[in-house]
Parts: sequence; C-alpha cells; structure tokens
Amino acid sequence: MSASVLSRSALLAAASTRSSIPSAVRGLASVATSQAPPPTPESKAPRVKKFQVYRWNPDHPEKKPYMQEYELDLNQTGPMVLDALIRMKNEVDPTLTFRRSCREGICGSCAMNIGGINTLACLCRIDTDTSKATKIYPLPHTYVVKDLVPDLTHFYKQYKSIKPYLQRKDPPPGREILQSIADRKKLDGLYECILCACCSTSCPSYWWNSSEYLGPAVLMQSYRWIADSRDQFKEERKAALDNEMSLYRCHTIMNCARTCPKGLNPGLAIAKIKKELSLGHS
Amino acid sequence: MSLSRTAFRAASQLSHRQPAAASFLLPRLQTRSAASTTPTTAAEAHSLLVSQRQKRPIAPHLSIYQPQLTWYMSSANRITGVLLSGTVYLFGISYAVAPWLGLHLESATIAAAVAALPVAVKLAIKATFATPFAFHCFNGVRHLIWDTAKELTIKGVYRTGYVVLASSAFAVTYLTFFA
Amino acid sequence: MSLFRTTGLRAATTARFIAPTPRIAAAFHTSQKRAILPVGPQVIDGTVNDPAPVPAPNPTHGSYHWSFERLVTIGLVPLTIAPFAAGSLHPITDAVLGATLVLHSHIGFQACIVDYIPKRLYPKLLKAARWALNSATVLVLYGLYEFETNDVGITEGVKKLWKA
Repeated sequence: MSASVLSRSALLAAASTRSSIPSAVRGLASVATSQAPPPTPESKAPRVKKFQVYRWNPDHPEKKPYMQEYELDLNQTGPMVLDALIRMKNEVDPTLTFRRSCREGICGSCAMNIGGINTLACLCRIDTDTSKATKIYPLPHTYVVKDLVPDLTHFYKQYKSIKPYLQRKDPPPGREILQSIADRKKLDGLYECILCACCSTSCPSYWWNSSEYLGPAVLMQSYRWIADSRDQFKEERKAALDNEMSLYRCHTIMNCARTCPKGLNPGLAIAKIKKELSLGHS
Repeated sequence: MSLSRTAFRAASQLSHRQPAAASFLLPRLQTRSAASTTPTTAAEAHSLLVSQRQKRPIAPHLSIYQPQLTWYMSSANRITGVLLSGTVYLFGISYAVAPWLGLHLESATIAAAVAALPVAVKLAIKATFATPFAFHCFNGVRHLIWDTAKELTIKGVYRTGYVVLASSAFAVTYLTFFA
Repeated sequence: MSLFRTTGLRAATTARFIAPTPRIAAAFHTSQKRAILPVGPQVIDGTVNDPAPVPAPNPTHGSYHWSFERLVTIGLVPLTIAPFAAGSLHPITDAVLGATLVLHSHIGFQACIVDYIPKRLYPKLLKAARWALNSATVLVLYGLYEFETNDVGITEGVKKLWKA
C-alpha cells in the first residue's frame, strides 16, 4: 500500500512539472530536443545547404524517378550526410526512404552515391560549401526498391555462391586449427569487408554484367578464403572462378579500391586471384 | 512487476480525476484498424513480389558517377584500342576486297593522296592517329605492370596514370612534329 | 517559407505538418536510355536463399585465355618498339608484328562483345557478333598477307604515309 501511495505522489509530482508534449512525438530524434528552451535561431546566421535526393515511389511506378531538393540549416545538423538525411526525414519529408543502422561505418546499411562517389552516408562529411548542392543517389546500376534503397538480393546470392566459410577435408582436430602469424597476416585487408556493396556498384564491368560477373566485393571475399591457410578447398574455390565471366570481366578499372569506404583494395585481391589461376601462386 | 501494476492502478485512478496528466502512462486503447487486409497465399505474395521487381528502375550510373582517373583512363584505353583496331580492320578488309570492288589501296596510291593535302591537315591527321596509339601503348604497359600485382594501390594507380599521360603527351608531340 | 524547424518539437505538435512542395531539381529518364544496351527488368532466379549458379570450370575461356592474352601483349611490346628502333623490319618480322597486332585486336574486340552484349537478354545478337568478328579477323589476316606480299608491309607503309 505504501508503494502505491509513493508512486501516486510521484506521478502527481511528475504530472505537474512535465510538459504536455505527448509521448508519441518524443520518439522523433532531433538536434533541437532538450528540456531547456532551444537556443534562439538568430544567435547564428543559418548556413543553408541544398541537398538533391533521388526519389522514386513503387506505389506509383509509372511516375519516373526525379530529384527532389531539400534545404537544411547546417548549424542545426550533425556533420555527416546521414545526419542530414535523418533530419530531412524527421522534420521535412517523412516519406524519404533509406537504409541505416549503426551510424558508425561498420554495418554497411547506408551505402549510397553521394557527390558522385559510392560511400557510407554515416562516414561521409557534408561539404559545407553552401553555394553547391549535394547530390545523393542510390548505388549505381542497382534496381531501386524505393528512393535510396537498392535491391541487393543478387549481390547476396553471389556472395553465398562462393561458399564464404571454412571448408576442411581433414577431420576436426578437437582444438583450434593452428595458423602462423605470417599466414594470419595474409588475411589483413581482406576480412574487414563489411559487404556494403560500394565497390561492386562502382565497377562499370559489374554495371554491364552483374548477372554473371561476381564483382569486386564477392571476389575479394573469394580470395579471403583462397588465401586462408586453414582452408583446404583451395583448388575447388579456384575452379569455381575459372570461367569466362565470374572473374575475368575485371579489366583492372580500379574504381573499387578508389571508392571503398573502409580503405580496402579489392582490385589487388582480384589481381592476386588471376595470378593464382595462371601461375599457381599469388 | 507488482510495482508496475500499482503504478498502473495509480495512473488509471489519476486519469479519472485528471485525464490529461497521466494519460501518457496508460497503454493505447486497442482500436480496430481502418485498413483492410486480404488473405494471401505464399505463392500469391511471391508473384506480387515478382511483378513489383519488374517495375523497378535502374539507378543512374555513367551520368552521375564522379569523373575519376581510374575509370576515365580505363575507358580511354578501350576507346583508343577500338579506334586503332577498327582502323586496322577497316584497312585490312578493304585491302582484301579491293580487287573485287575495283579500289586502289596500294601504299603508293594512298601516300600520293596524303602528300597532296595541306600541311595543317597532314599534322592534324598525324596527331589524330598518334594520340590513341601513344596512349594505348603506354597504358598497355601499365596494365602489364598491374598484372604482376604491382602498383595496384590508389597511389600506384594515380602515379602510373600520370606517367602514362605525360609520356603520351611527349610521344604525340614527337611523332606529330619530329617523326 | 523555410523548410527547416528551429523551434523543436513544439512546432511539430502545434503547427499542422506542411508537406514540402516537391522542388524537382531535375526530371529523370530511367537510365535505360543511357545504357549501351537496354537492361531489362529485374529477374531473380530461384528464391532469395539460393546461391547464384556457379558455372562449370572452363579454363579455355578463363585462365588459359587470360594467360594467352597477356603473352600476346607482352610479345607486342618489343615488336612495336622494333620499327622505331631499327627503322625498317625484315618482312618476316613485319608479318609477325601484323599477325600479333590482329590477334591482339581480335581479343580486344571479343572482350568488348562479351562485356556489352549480355547473353541472357540478347543471345542471338551475341552469337551474330562473335561470328561477325571471327569472319572479319579471317578477312583482315588475308588482307594483311596480301599487303605483306604484294605491297611494302606495315612498317614501310606507315612510314611512307607518315612522311608523305
């Protein structure tokens, strides 16, 4: 009984001081949220940045895709393009659709084409030059589900096709499969891939042949398993790539390494695979 | 658990007396949703997905991707290759079928025709052929270096790229004016 | 009116939500027009959980083709330098240069055909293009043979035209 009295008085106290903003609206994240009165906008001249965003609505598929322009005050926005997109969605246009999750460049969800370059929106700083608009497109030459959301189904199917897991012929040793430090070092620069698809969708060869050419991301993961000393299916993995289309549509354009938001080098991995297939070693 | 129940009871008691104050603590009443649903089998859902897929546009690519040394030089390599090989094939086929078509494509005939052209036109033709030839040759060597897995970093790509562009410029100048 | 909120949540709750007038900065034609060949609608084979099909190993069109292409390119380097260094070439060397050049061109054109004509969408066009290329190459090799035997050869021919 005493507990209920306490809680009732606590509620009464809380009810009198809390503002009348309903809880449903509190779910919106915004830079301006705080209990204290927000700073007066006249204290700093607003830096208005224009964003041009690719829009397409599957509910009205006959309407062709178009670019929609939004304006944001950079003084109220976080530094990254994802901050801008979230503000656009929360405060201007809730129908704007994009993928996002970790906001720290590790999940790969927010991969898109910003300013002509494929990168992660959460890692891409907004260009503070307010005289130029920033153009945001979905990943190039992908089928668009809605606005900035690409369909990566085929990309994931291709990843699955290379069997991205350890394969052994020996029976399990009952303990860790040992690997020397030098052999483990060979995996550096390969295992860190977050499968964001920025590289594959920056490759013109993948644009023209995504159905049969595996693309830099999947090929680099293929090499990650070929180069792993613990894997015993090296020849089978190499044979799976030894055909006209899967690997050899790569013409060393190197857009992949140029655009990787994690600083990895798929082009080099692909060159090593080609050497492996022709010379037997990389 | 019990505390939340007492809190709930308190909130509902409160809300009778001061409806606005504690209403945010009550769970929302269940309302019948206004949207209607239709029962769909898995096969129907799949065919719906297939029809949706067919209407999807392709995101822009060539028109919006940032011009970069990487793909611009690669495109130039292919374009120059096609131009040069196209010329070779065109001449080769023409020379092969010349007797049947009554054409005169002997080197002496063509040389005479070229000699008659004004100097500016001759220099322009030389430059037009020297540029793709020089670029493609030097970029070809760059590709061979890449095939050994050397210079395949961003720094290496740009370094070798600038070397190829500079060498091509020199070679074109030499071939056009001094060769 | 400005499209950004400076007064926080109060404005969102008290003011009616004003949908932004879509300022269309650029109308978009679907990039099908800009593609080298139209791509066609999205088709996924099988379910989303099936891996993409792995082709049967075919080294003739895979690693052997790649190695052969590199050998031809490597061979072309001294053959191309030779006319500039030596001034003129022995007819046999000139013929080897010509043949290697035609081989290199054939492989290059083949790469373009395979890259730009997807088999799934245009199987007949792909076959026709391959046939056309093969016929053209045979004809060019014959023309080259004729040029070497009845005329001056590549090195001499280019030199004549260049210095005309």
